[in-house]
Amino acid sequence: MTFVEELPQTPTVAVEGVSKWMGPVVALSEVSFAIGPGVTALLGPNGAGKSTLLRILCGLTKPSQGTARVLGVDPRTDLAVRTRIGLVAQQEALFEQLRAHELVTLGAGLHKVPHPERAAAAALATVDLDPADRRPVRTYSKGMRQRVKVANAIVHEPEIVILDEPLEGLDPRQRVRMIDLFSDLGAQGRTVLVSSHVLDEVERFGSRVLVLAEGRLAAQGDFRAIRELMDDRPHRLRIQAADARPLAARLVASGAVVGAHLESPTSMIVDTVDAPRLRRDVLSAAADVPTRLWEVLPLDDDLDSVFRYLVKR
Amino acid sequence: MNLAYRLLVRTLVTRARLVALCAIGGAGLLFGLAIRFADATAADRLDATNRLLIGTYGLNLVIPVTALVFASAALGDPVEDRTLVYLWLTPVSRWRLVVAGWLASLTVSVPVGCGAVVLATALAGADGRLVGATAAGAALATAGYTSLFLLLGLVVRRALAWGLAYVLVWELAVARIAKGAARLSVSVYSRSVLADIGDVAPPRNAAALVTSLVVLSLLVVAATLGTTTLLRRLDVA
Repeated sequence: MTFVEELPQTPTVAVEGVSKWMGPVVALSEVSFAIGPGVTALLGPNGAGKSTLLRILCGLTKPSQGTARVLGVDPRTDLAVRTRIGLVAQQEALFEQLRAHELVTLGAGLHKVPHPERAAAAALATVDLDPADRRPVRTYSKGMRQRVKVANAIVHEPEIVILDEPLEGLDPRQRVRMIDLFSDLGAQGRTVLVSSHVLDEVERFGSRVLVLAEGRLAAQGDFRAIRELMDDRPHRLRIQAADARPLAARLVASGAVVGAHLESPTSMIVDTVDAPRLRRDVLSAAADVPTRLWEVLPLDDDLDSVFRYLVKR
Repeated sequence: MNLAYRLLVRTLVTRARLVALCAIGGAGLLFGLAIRFADATAADRLDATNRLLIGTYGLNLVIPVTALVFASAALGDPVEDRTLVYLWLTPVSRWRLVVAGWLASLTVSVPVGCGAVVLATALAGADGRLVGATAAGAALATAGYTSLFLLLGLVVRRALAWGLAYVLVWELAVARIAKGAARLSVSVYSRSVLADIGDVAPPRNAAALVTSLVVLSLLVVAATLGTTTLLRRLDVA
């Protein structure tokens, strides 16, 4: 299903035919890709299998089928590679009674960083948190907790940074700050894999994307190419007007729509391959009929429909 | 391992757990005082101390329940609240994490559980030998139960309920009646050690001192290996 192929020269993360099922539920199906240093965005709607894939890459769960290699080894069995991976997990859970500095120092210590306290202070400063803050993390807001998790993921300066929905709960200023941080990490030669279900967010991470939908890799490669493809796909809209029937006939005759279905005397569903043209033509068509135009509503602009379209291709 | 150990000790000590267990321990102290000041012969007091206070209340109830509360939570809580990922995704080997969990549980269980039982025994008027034997028996029982419940915390959800059912049904009832079941009872082996060292009446279906020590040691090793294997294969959320 991959339509834009772009293989890295030095893959640091390689996934080959990975499937994962949990009882009757197939979370991932025959996923294969390879990525190298820099930022790669993992895009997909909720339930697409993003978190499962990231957990496999961290060795937290075993694929039911296929292989995952991180820096050339199996992250499930190789203990040493774990110190070269940093993870921001999706769950909010932290060791609630610890202070942020204690928690990140603990992470640094477990990864055998030479000066854990100093490294923790630096990592917290990077995410705009005060290392001297005496409050336990249970008193932190969702955004602050998210930043503690990011600090914990980067404190040991891993070569692979895996971030599962890292912008959740952050305010707009912090989002920009974090996106800059991820870009910097990528520019330093680290492999940064960031998951998100927000299309516009992913656009700012960088140009490389992996698109997961319904457990399958729907697309891989340059974001702009995928974006263009999404813009070219047929669109479905609901048009409501005082008299929908003659308006539908008029739009079909003009070629602005490729199909029209009357829901009621005042409502119709239309399909078009040129949404901007339809938006222009519907105004003049309504004036010509004449009928009063009430509403033009896109029905498939949500991400799920975009992913469904990519999967069907 | 040191860092994981310290972290687990901190996560285990919660006010609710300490209050509940200190209440159970406090009841033991009152029990000990009641025996001391009871209108009975010295032999009857010693028998009540041995069978009821040390046996039933101590090694069959307080020690296993204390070990259950802390050991099942040591690795079970991080699995439940999904913080295990922060320990799991480190180069620390799995057996070290298990030993850290075992030691962390012992660090809290020994003063709370063993402390209460030993103090209650002393308050009941037992001599130094019996108090020392109680300390040894309680420590061995704590070590055995802790390794068992550490494993239970990873195997089942609601380990506290399952563990409590095991303590009340198996250790407190079945193992005291059936000889075969006594061969699979931590309490019987630890009470056998206690009886041998303290020179008091052994429990029903008692085992020899060496057998008891070997079985309890094997239990700790086997449960630790089992927990390590399970942790290695665990799907971490």
